[in-house]
Amino acid sequence: MPHMSIFARATAVAALVSLPAFVAQAQDTFVVSNWGYSNDFYEPFIFEPFEKAHNVKVVTETGGAPERLNKARIRGGVDVILLTDKFSQIGINQGAFEEIDGSKLSNFDELYDAAKNPQGDYGPAYTFGRYGIVYDKTRTDTPITSWCDLWRPDFEKSIAMPAFNTTGGPLTVMMAAKCVGTDAFEDPDAAFAKMEELKPNIVKTFSSGSELTNLLSTGEAFIGLAQDYAFPAIQAANPNIGWAELKEGDFRMMNTYNIPKNAKNKELALAFIDFSLSRQAQKDAAVELVSGSGPVNKTVELTPEQASSLVYGEEAVMSMQPTPYDKLLKVNDDWESRWNAVFGR
Amino acid sequence: MSQRVSPIKRICALGPWLLVFPATAVLLFVLVLPVAGTLAESFSNPAGLFANYREFFADAYNRTVMIRSFRIAFFSTMVALVLGFAGAYMIANASLGLKRVLLILSVFPLLTSVVVRSFSFMAILGRNGVVNTALMKMGLISEPLEMLFTQGAVIAGLAYLFTPLMILSLVGVLENIEDDLYLAAGSLGASPVAVFFQVTLPLAVPGMMVGSILVFTGSLATFVTPTLLGGEPQMTLATLLYQKAMISFDWGVANTIAAIMMGTAIFCVVVVGSLAGRLAARRTVQ
Repeated sequence: MPHMSIFARATAVAALVSLPAFVAQAQDTFVVSNWGYSNDFYEPFIFEPFEKAHNVKVVTETGGAPERLNKARIRGGVDVILLTDKFSQIGINQGAFEEIDGSKLSNFDELYDAAKNPQGDYGPAYTFGRYGIVYDKTRTDTPITSWCDLWRPDFEKSIAMPAFNTTGGPLTVMMAAKCVGTDAFEDPDAAFAKMEELKPNIVKTFSSGSELTNLLSTGEAFIGLAQDYAFPAIQAANPNIGWAELKEGDFRMMNTYNIPKNAKNKELALAFIDFSLSRQAQKDAAVELVSGSGPVNKTVELTPEQASSLVYGEEAVMSMQPTPYDKLLKVNDDWESRWNAVFGR
Repeated sequence: MSQRVSPIKRICALGPWLLVFPATAVLLFVLVLPVAGTLAESFSNPAGLFANYREFFADAYNRTVMIRSFRIAFFSTMVALVLGFAGAYMIANASLGLKRVLLILSVFPLLTSVVVRSFSFMAILGRNGVVNTALMKMGLISEPLEMLFTQGAVIAGLAYLFTPLMILSLVGVLENIEDDLYLAAGSLGASPVAVFFQVTLPLAVPGMMVGSILVFTGSLATFVTPTLLGGEPQMTLATLLYQKAMISFDWGVANTIAAIMMGTAIFCVVVVGSLAGRLAARRTVQ
């Protein structure tokens, strides 16, 4: 009997000790596919409050946009995916995402129109960013005021430009066409003839923001075509670098939320998206993440200092050029061959 | 009357097979099957068995990239061979203590990430890099030379990356050449140069072959160095493969490129291996 009693007590202790583990296992997991660099913000400001509100454990899957999109589409196991609008458009074209009914999101009406349905009835945008020209203002006497200035002869071997297969790559082609007074979709011959003229000014076509930062900080290039998420690192490396005020305007870049068709927790995914679009979450993102995280919720109020490096306010949002990735992806193969003929030889 | 084999002996005979089974099974599942799948996919175009290959080679840009990749891999191998031979020769003829130090120094770069090593070349060859700054301070040039983002930069980066492998392949071979052979050649009146070309070099051929295979196939497959030091104008098969698989999601072309790269690597190993075998056999006969 004493033996039995010891055994029974040991079993009871073991059961008590292992109880939290069973409870933790019983808790549902919710998978968010994200880049990873912003998880220091997401953990305390988004994930933790969401976990408490919905009794769920948020698990992140990190990596580059194409890699994550592929995994979510083929392997599944992702409830919400964060992508740039280029890659969310690719996902939409592949039939990978659910349509999202805005009426199910309580914060939907507070969004700028440009963020509500940027790609049809799919996920809303959750940040605004910009794509424009940055340059070392001490290296030229005549400021850059237009996209067409990239073709100036005094900028020979001075420009770092994104490669074609990046988010910003094809946008340069659109601007090339504008500089010769045409539309790149209607007259790609003229656009790429103009791109050929740009070639002597290009030091390198880069594939990532960190590569651009490196090119600008080592002095290999002093002009870069950049997205604002990369700007703090660029300016830290060279404080003389600033944004060009372009008469045609910068491009409006967006990051979007989408729910994969094979997601397990679709209702929870809607709740997550709704929570992330709330005024407080949007303000937290703008303040904590700074560049590249312009709020899409128009009720967010920021101080001039907080707003200084963001796309903020109706005027700023609407004055920018849209990025028509639906059209761009349709001409992608043709433009890629033309681009390779110019820059790949 | 045939002898009966006891069950214990039968089991013992199976021993070696049982020992290699776990590793073989792992290799089968994590290497052979995925590679076979990739190869099979490259022939799975509904337009025909070789349609993917026809389409790939029909594109002038793809042909340019392929020729460029082989050219870069070939010249990287040649540079690594020359530098590696010199390094290995020095190590093989050094005293025991110095030999250890030199070997560690030559292998040391392998301990650093490929990304870091490629970035270091950006600091060396860049517009404001070490080479340009030195040349300008010496008054030899007035404008920085354009060295970065050229084919030369990629070849230099790859040669630097793979020379340690060449050294490792050659040191053992050079060390195994009998001293008596040098003495005999010298006693027969051969000059040091003649000894090098008629004794050392022919006997080092197997090591050179092995090193060259490693460097050539490595250079062909390396993705980071051509991306960082060459960029789009120096696109290679490896960087094109990455683009097609990870950005354009064009798996047909990606599988075809992977199959071409695998085929090339296997061809190199088989042809160069058989050449090395023949040379070794000829030397034995001699």
